[in-house]
Amino acid sequence: MVLKPGLQTTVQSRSRGGMRHLGVPACGAADPLSLALANRLLGNDWDAPALELTLLGPDLQFDTACCFALAGAPFAATLNGAAIACHEVQRAIPGDLLVTGAALKGARAYLAVAGGIVVEEVLGSASTYLPAGLGGYRGRALAKGDQLSFTPREVQDLTTPVEFRPTMLSAWALRACASFETQKLSGADIARLFETNWTVSRRADRMGMLLEGPALTVTSGGRMPSAAVFPGTVQCPEGGAPFVLAVDAGTTGGYPRIAQLARVDRHLLGQVRPGDHLRFLRREPHAAVEALHAKLDYWRPWLPDIDSILC
Amino acid sequence: MVSRYVLIRGGDELLSIGAADPAEAQAIAEQLRAAGICLEVVAGIDSVVVRFDAVAYDADEVSRLVEDALADGVRPLAASGKLLEIPIVYGGKFGPDLEHACETLGLTADEFIALHTGGEHRVDMIGFTPGFAYIGGLDERLHLPRRTEPRQHVPAGSVGIADGRTGLYSLAGPGGWTLVGRTPFKLFDAAADDPFPIRAGMRIRFRALSAEEWPA
Repeated sequence: MVLKPGLQTTVQSRSRGGMRHLGVPACGAADPLSLALANRLLGNDWDAPALELTLLGPDLQFDTACCFALAGAPFAATLNGAAIACHEVQRAIPGDLLVTGAALKGARAYLAVAGGIVVEEVLGSASTYLPAGLGGYRGRALAKGDQLSFTPREVQDLTTPVEFRPTMLSAWALRACASFETQKLSGADIARLFETNWTVSRRADRMGMLLEGPALTVTSGGRMPSAAVFPGTVQCPEGGAPFVLAVDAGTTGGYPRIAQLARVDRHLLGQVRPGDHLRFLRREPHAAVEALHAKLDYWRPWLPDIDSILC
Repeated sequence: MVSRYVLIRGGDELLSIGAADPAEAQAIAEQLRAAGICLEVVAGIDSVVVRFDAVAYDADEVSRLVEDALADGVRPLAASGKLLEIPIVYGGKFGPDLEHACETLGLTADEFIALHTGGEHRVDMIGFTPGFAYIGGLDERLHLPRRTEPRQHVPAGSVGIADGRTGLYSLAGPGGWTLVGRTPFKLFDAAADDPFPIRAGMRIRFRALSAEEWPA
């Protein structure tokens, strides 16, 4: 049962695919790698529905015995007042109180339970899409008094090997490629886009994040006929401050697309928080794909489904 | 054979194909979806973007497959037989910008409504949020710019005008279009048999509804 809901705690799973032409965004865990790591410890499918904790997590009371695990951003979590670690199986008995606390670094952690949280799939996924109020727990973020249901299952103790624990940062360097309207920036502004150490503004959520830094100027004046955008698309709206689209972002937009985060690093967007610094490392597409192959090869021994996780 | 379509690479897994107009963009998109090469095929106003699986496909290979799929030309979509009627309550609290819009255009509200409900329209594209419809065929006397200050909250069903189109807001949320009315028609309903009753290419007619007729 939810005693305190936290800042924005939602049930998340895999993304929704193949429906962008109907206006349905990707949705899904903002950091699918961390979701998969939490589920891995419990023997769940990588995309078993779990709680996505954002900056400040919930207080939960267990009504039944439960094996659970936290992965992603390190939260100062306690179980009955005693600190518990991320990246290992934890056990709770009826009456136990889990206070997940605040993220020390990074933005989101995933709280998975053995057997997965039981919610219905809508449009091919159990993930919550808040703007339409669909999926997850009643289509919304958790509130006080909510009761989550799951099928309790006993699992072995397990911890994530150290080499498979992602490092959380406060300054991020994400690989990105040029996109369709990059050439509408002047040469100097293209250099600025890729050389600036951007600051993430307070406007940073599952829709996207606004960056603070030097203003960029687009030659066409900032608007264009609506065209497809994707998670990881960097838009340049009229004000000249880049906006990076995230998992719940709309499917089309009318602002120039000045860069595209490479698939290899897109999952890291889910861990970038307001006040963090962000740089775009320019890569040619073939180099970005090579890096993707290297990352997939690295993770496959621990997460056999890594190709689907980083999709 | 060299395709007459211009392909541009964007990022490591996107490819954009130029189109002359929304109808051609939709036709290209339909043909590429049928070819089954890509994860997503999304038509815009004058382009189509495909997202492919960069692990499974090399970009040059995808370009070739796209060109092959379009090599024999693009079959125009059959004019959708279906004419969808969208009831709209114009003005008042349902269309808070109508009065100002009429001043700008030099029309009375009745003239505005007569022009908007007079002709047949066509869904140019669906995008942004589930079921948000960009509808073309707007009478030139009704062209209005976006609002300079976007609203933080636009109710679901709102009918806006911008960029020579009518936009139907399927969900509540922020928005910058000039709001002239609201429709009770559900543009997106995840629980329905067909969650997406409005599709690109559909013919549309608007019908004026009085505020009293708004479903309670």
